[in-house]
Amino acid sequence: MRLTRALIGLSAAAALFAAGCGTTEDTGNQAAAGGGDPITVVDSRGKAVTLPDGPAKRVAATEWNGVENLVSLGVMPVGVSDIEGYGTWVSAAPLDGTPKDLGTRGEPSIDTLGALDLDLVVVTDSLTEGALEQIEARVPVIVLAGGDAKDPIGAMFTNLDIIAKATGTEDRAAQLRTEFDQKLTEGKSAVDAAGATGEKVAFSDAYVSSGTISIRPFTTGSLVSAVFERLGLQNAWTMEGDPVYGLAQADVEGLTQLPDVRFWYESNGSEGDPYADELAANAIWTNLPFVRSGKVHRFPDKLWMFGGPKSMMQYVDAAVAALQK
Amino acid sequence: MLVSGLAVLVVLGAAVHLTQGTAGLGAGDLLRMVTGRGTGATAAVVFESRLPRLLAAVVVGVALGAAGAVLQSVSRNVMASPDTLAVDAGAHLAIVAVAAFGVSLPLLGSAGIAFAGGLAAAAVVLALSGRGGTGVVRLVLAGTAIALAMISVTRMLLLLFAQETQGLYAWGSGQLGQNGLDGIRTLGPVVAVALVLVLVLSRRLDLVYLGDDHARSLGVRVGRVRLVSVVLAVLMAAAAVTLAGPVGFVGLAAPALVRLTAAVVPGLHRHAALVPVSAAVGVVLLLGADIALRALIGAQGALEVPTGVVTTLLGAVFLMLLARGVRVSASVAEPPAAGPRGGVTSRRFRVVLGVLLATTVGVVVGAVLLGDTTLLLGDVLNWVSGRAGPIVTSVMDNRLPRVVAAVLAGAALGIAGALIQAVARNPLAEPGIVGVVGGAGLGAVTGITLVPGISFWTQTGFAGIGAVVATAVVFALAARGGFAGERLVLIGFAVQAAAQALTTLLITLTDPWNETKALTWLGGSTYGRSFAHLVPMALVVLLVVPVLVRARGELDLLSLDDESPRVLGVAVGRSRLAVLVCAVLLTAAAVAGVGVIAFVGLIAPHAARTLVGRRHARVLPVAALLGALLVALADTVGRTVIAPSQLPAGLMTACVGVPYFVWLLHRTRAR
Repeated sequence: MRLTRALIGLSAAAALFAAGCGTTEDTGNQAAAGGGDPITVVDSRGKAVTLPDGPAKRVAATEWNGVENLVSLGVMPVGVSDIEGYGTWVSAAPLDGTPKDLGTRGEPSIDTLGALDLDLVVVTDSLTEGALEQIEARVPVIVLAGGDAKDPIGAMFTNLDIIAKATGTEDRAAQLRTEFDQKLTEGKSAVDAAGATGEKVAFSDAYVSSGTISIRPFTTGSLVSAVFERLGLQNAWTMEGDPVYGLAQADVEGLTQLPDVRFWYESNGSEGDPYADELAANAIWTNLPFVRSGKVHRFPDKLWMFGGPKSMMQYVDAAVAALQK
Repeated sequence: MLVSGLAVLVVLGAAVHLTQGTAGLGAGDLLRMVTGRGTGATAAVVFESRLPRLLAAVVVGVALGAAGAVLQSVSRNVMASPDTLAVDAGAHLAIVAVAAFGVSLPLLGSAGIAFAGGLAAAAVVLALSGRGGTGVVRLVLAGTAIALAMISVTRMLLLLFAQETQGLYAWGSGQLGQNGLDGIRTLGPVVAVALVLVLVLSRRLDLVYLGDDHARSLGVRVGRVRLVSVVLAVLMAAAAVTLAGPVGFVGLAAPALVRLTAAVVPGLHRHAALVPVSAAVGVVLLLGADIALRALIGAQGALEVPTGVVTTLLGAVFLMLLARGVRVSASVAEPPAAGPRGGVTSRRFRVVLGVLLATTVGVVVGAVLLGDTTLLLGDVLNWVSGRAGPIVTSVMDNRLPRVVAAVLAGAALGIAGALIQAVARNPLAEPGIVGVVGGAGLGAVTGITLVPGISFWTQTGFAGIGAVVATAVVFALAARGGFAGERLVLIGFAVQAAAQALTTLLITLTDPWNETKALTWLGGSTYGRSFAHLVPMALVVLLVVPVLVRARGELDLLSLDDESPRVLGVAVGRSRLAVLVCAVLLTAAAVAGVGVIAFVGLIAPHAARTLVGRRHARVLPVAALLGALLVALADTVGRTVIAPSQLPAGLMTACVGVPYFVWLLHRTRAR
């Protein structure tokens, strides 16, 4: 009995061993890549990153702002984190179906990154330390800042320019900047024409947990708010946001602090609409001055609040549309 | 006296509670409203936000206080409560599982699902810990372990079914805020009815509490009373969980406080008085915690801190004090091993060791080959000889440190567990349950928060300090009466709970949008580990092993009882301290390396004893190998099943560990 079992075990082990032999990849070194002259880019860490073969062609990005910037610069990434989520949240710069999924944004698969034969990886500063060093050991890595509440639009363009330089698409970046400025100018005159210049706007999103509504106000340090301010609108939130994204927290009764403002919000279809679904029968909500005067407006789905110029141009359109409603 | 005092406290607390909130609405507005001169807006805020929040505190406080009192009486165990019976964790798991698998249970609603989950969890814990009465530590350990396991499974479901379970992640911490009165209108009556039924049963509960035989001789059907009371208690707790999420420790602290005062207040030991007073104390505690939170950090800041975290902190402190007074028997509460083999032949030991070594090598090879990219042995050979292509090189360079990290951490935790079990003389003690892991994790997170761009060595240092502080607290408090095993475990449990609550607090206050950070420091992961991260673990293992080789004989004596080593001339206090220092070092290094990983320190040494007997010269190497095996396996599975995404190793070990732990509890139940 014992012997039989041992034999079975041994043969199973031998079979496994035999199956595990062989290789998935031939030996030998990679063919020397051709290309242009080396490029050096200084990223948000202040580190000079050198791309030895010139502008990066095969690029992966672990955060969606990096992905959006790449796509809008005309460089379709070969690796993207959480592709499904990107499709759900970001519509400004859609993928063409070719990128490979890297897993979650917080812990992108280093195996997949290694297998993609990349010229460049774009990450943000929220990546786990250690993972950054591991990726960097093989491929040049550019670290972008998640945001900067002191100068959100400046930080957005800094990120865009870093990527543009690394991918040799500075012309397109300049063009994007012009389009963005033009869009702001148009938007500003549309706001003016609507007679809304100087009006106060409270922008937020919200989520439901165990029957409670948690509201996430976008304070003056947030990117969306900065765009609205450039349109001539003012931010109505009074609380202080976090130093990176300019986000704060609020509950329903906290909304009573707001006067008769324009109350705009983003809500993704997949998660329902907390304001409309949960608060319809709430007397605080129905008593709020801006609810009574009908100044509540839900923005179109899939506008990414932490995105790049393309997303922000969508916000300009959405804001103008909301004013003309 | 007592009753009127409590009533005054509740009324005062309620009044203060109503004035707190994010709307600009103070005592003056409230007074005007009461006297009929308020505005519609004031009334709206009061009726849709303040009053629901206050009533939620009242309903939850009553439910938890009364449920705790009943559970403690029925099990004749001061440590029984919705927390220690895993009711909270079971309810949460049920809700998430139903959402994840898309099952629709229209008749039950979320409250019904939570109730079913909570009841199932309580039943498992009670069945495993036995209703015998005094097994305080068994109950706490069984409940904590089951809760831990359920939380891990819940987190895994949340990761695996992220789309289906959206919005349920935040549910894991107790918050009193309500959207209108709907929730209270549904669940308040449930709690009220259950409370009335408990009061109807109160006379019979008095008798059951005195003793089964006594009650039976007076014509009470003990089994039925017990069953009904437990179901009622779980119903109340589940209602509280559905209303506000898990609010920690109120159900434990409130009735325990009342029982303490029952010694000086006549008549309070009768359930007709005990249950309502416990309910009132529950309300006072919960209101107090909520008021204190808002008073300390303001109404705006309080939005970010779940009230459940505060009650857990308060409750943990209370539990530590309570545990100091728990009567403990001088004799060994449990045998040092569940299936003690006094000794096995050295041939058997060598065979076991050989088989384990071979298996470990096999698992390590498997771990190197499997993952998001599957490799074959030829690739590894090419890599070893430096001829591999770029893809294989990249994968190997990143995967190998992770595999080694898992092996080292597993071995370190296995040894640490064996040491702590020897010192605490309890086969169910482990670094996680005794607070060392929590302390180390808290230390590391504190370091990350305080020092921006912290170096890995500094972070390890912080983890070490955290582990040392936690251990010092646990053992200083447990020192009275010579480190009795039971008291040690109870205080450790409290410290672990407090450390976890503080970790949650730190992360939610300083970095609320960083889910990865939360997951690593509450879940444990080998992601992004490189060889540089492994140096502290390797150093500590190298440092500790020779010490243990020398101390193996003393360890055997320490794990017997207090007298034997003394008779044989061993300085008990000093050896214990030395052993503990080793265990703390190992745990801190492992936590700094891979985050918080549970269950390994429990299972590995226990299984080792079952395989090769009690002698530490044999247990320690086998425990180290088993620990390494377990974590390496868990890590490999976590890296492979949902690739390119991954599950943290800590969650996987919990899932692998639970069946074993349940079996272990079941086996030791008879004793």
